[in-house]
Amino acid sequence: MPTQINKGVIGKESPPFVLTVERGRIKEFARAIGDANPAYLDDRVGQASEWGDIIAPPTFLTTFRDGADSATFLKDLGTDISRVLHGEQEFEVFRPIRPGETFTCRSRVVDVYEKTGRSGPMAFVKRETVVTDATNEIVANIRHITVVRL
Amino acid sequence: MKYAKVYFDDVKVGDELPPVVKGPIQQIQLTRYAGASGDFNPIHQDDEFAKAAGMGGVFAHGMLSMGFVGQALTDWAGPAAVRKFGVRFAAIVRLKDVVTCRGRVLGKSSKDDVNLVDVEVWAENQRGEKVVTGRATVALPTRD
Repeated sequence: MPTQINKGVIGKESPPFVLTVERGRIKEFARAIGDANPAYLDDRVGQASEWGDIIAPPTFLTTFRDGADSATFLKDLGTDISRVLHGEQEFEVFRPIRPGETFTCRSRVVDVYEKTGRSGPMAFVKRETVVTDATNEIVANIRHITVVRL
Repeated sequence: MKYAKVYFDDVKVGDELPPVVKGPIQQIQLTRYAGASGDFNPIHQDDEFAKAAGMGGVFAHGMLSMGFVGQALTDWAGPAAVRKFGVRFAAIVRLKDVVTCRGRVLGKSSKDDVNLVDVEVWAENQRGEKVVTGRATVALPTRD
């Protein structure tokens, strides 16, 4: 019996999520990828740069997640973590991310649609997160497609 | 030189990015990436869980491969050059796989003193199968 996906989540917004970027987290993220760029890892290089500090690699925005919310989200969808795959990801970036900055993330479900692929029926869940800084300027848009194996 | 500065003036359509080669992928790297990214899905850590989920065993986070491709972009264009970066995860990356990230310039445009280069990016495994495909836009400085 295939999983029934709950399309009622379309348009649903998650509560705004506030986070402060930690210096060590940027460095550990770069190291986990194996990216030794001194712009991410070396404080002195960062201070001497046009940004005045180290910056985060482009895909660091993936850490802008609310762990508690994602479990709730899967439950609302009618699935669980063993059924989901990452389908697509897009970042639109307006400026670099530096340590110590506080951001607000607002996520909403843009669409849910079903398709049958080579490996059977699947649902695609499209979400978008808008990231704003302390002055309410948009710093990034994050688009994410989760694939649920039904 | 690894972080040579690339200028908008010198980039031509069809230019290829220097490839970035990663791997062989080891479990410890997936564990480390889980901690660094906050993605603790056991499907990337626990072989039994991944098998029970019908995935045939653990596999790498798609975002780790996107991070590798991101490095190919920033090694070439600079750490703050990326304006837009989107990918599709085309195939799964397994333990022991070697992932090679590549890119090719698709087009150039200038608007309001911002000089943008569109790049086709992808990552392939040791069998030449594409595991990530996507596109990016980077902003580059001019020589004057």
